[in-house]
Amino acid sequence: MGILKEKDKEKVANIFKGIEKDVTIVMFTQEMECTHCEMTRTMLEEVSGLSGKLSLEVHDFVAEADLAKKYGVDKIPATVLFGDRDYGIRFYGVPAGYEFNVMIEDIMDVGKRQPGLSKEVMTELSKVDRPVHMQVLISPT
Amino acid sequence: MDFPEFSFDTSLLEEAKEPEPEVTYDLLILGGGPAAMSAAVYAARKMMNLAIITKDFGGQVRETSEIENWLGFQSINAKDLADRFEEHVKGFDIAVSLGPSITEINKEADTFKVRTDGDRVFSSRTLILATGKRHRPLNVPGEKELVGRGVAYCATCDAPFFKGKKVVVAGGGNSAFTTAVDLSKVEAEVALVNFIKGWQADEALQERVKQIGKVSLLDYHQVVRIEGKDGVTAVVVKNRENDKEDKLDANGLFVEIGLLPNNEPVKNVVELNEHGEVIVDCSCKTSVEGLFGAGDVTTVPHKQIVIAAGEGAKAALSAYDYLIKKSLI
Repeated sequence: MGILKEKDKEKVANIFKGIEKDVTIVMFTQEMECTHCEMTRTMLEEVSGLSGKLSLEVHDFVAEADLAKKYGVDKIPATVLFGDRDYGIRFYGVPAGYEFNVMIEDIMDVGKRQPGLSKEVMTELSKVDRPVHMQVLISPT
Repeated sequence: MDFPEFSFDTSLLEEAKEPEPEVTYDLLILGGGPAAMSAAVYAARKMMNLAIITKDFGGQVRETSEIENWLGFQSINAKDLADRFEEHVKGFDIAVSLGPSITEINKEADTFKVRTDGDRVFSSRTLILATGKRHRPLNVPGEKELVGRGVAYCATCDAPFFKGKKVVVAGGGNSAFTTAVDLSKVEAEVALVNFIKGWQADEALQERVKQIGKVSLLDYHQVVRIEGKDGVTAVVVKNRENDKEDKLDANGLFVEIGLLPNNEPVKNVVELNEHGEVIVDCSCKTSVEGLFGAGDVTTVPHKQIVIAAGEGAKAALSAYDYLIKKSLI
């Protein structure tokens, strides 16, 4: 069963034409998939099919516990956006509602290998001298 | 399997439409003030394939409070006017690069290449440079470090933060005196520091400040340094007559010593006048074919919103004419 509407797929495919470098979407689910895991995986399969620059890796959170640990993933469904390296971007739960926009924009940023922030902001951020764990909690309604 | 009825919203993605590096545009507009926005409207109506590269929309208009000389409005709030401009531009399908600065412009054959600080390169057959002006810094110790922590450049934006506080205003012209008036309205204790001997502000403004009565006037003084760690605590000034230094207790410093043209990307590309403004003719042409200039960054006198908007319109029409004559459109 398809998740994304045809017109949304068309729009996203059009945006994805601007992806410059390859992006790997790494998704963690499990053999007995919960509804949200299956929904996320189906959506990501559709999204990754919209550009030749995107690939999707689906992993089993239980069977591949070591890999999940490597990515710091402790709950599922989890979506990791990976470029030349891990930028620390994680989505837990279904990136639905407005967060779907955010995920698409993040894919674009990873594809550019830069976050599109101004020099001033980058200079300020370079002053952060310890690891920061930022979490945004949202409700998909 | 039936999934929960979540929506996958794509409404925000339209707004994020960015210029594409692989496209050669008819026109790239550099800047986001009235000149740039007016140029965008005119170019879009000519069905030119265009994009805008700007740090923000509104430019210096957003630093003003009320505008009483925009035709059709006895008085309009500056932010409202800037919002209307922006809304007008966004009514067209125009790609916008919002945020990154322009680092380099060059011309290869008939195509301009514009590099931004995200290291992206955009191509176009014509350019309109409408990057405006910015506040001239004092270039004294403590200024850079304390920007936003007491050092300010826009009274309209920041005066309310200094309610009842001690503030030094550097400058002796109309903008310095207007800042002193704005600060007095929020009961700040103001000292005006003028580098050149003799105040340059209009008599009427000087009279108004004198009537306020509480503003200290330090003529022929210079700001030597700004002190403070997490915020401004003092401003050290020097009497240029006798070189005597004095430390003024202050929570803030407003810098109102004029404006500089944002000409950096074209500094070595087009001819500039002695003030660094881009030299344009009455059709907004610069010394480089296909590169047009509009608004405050150019030599056109009288830096006014209505003039910038008119120049932007002219620049867009000139760019269109240029492409027609070259059979590029």
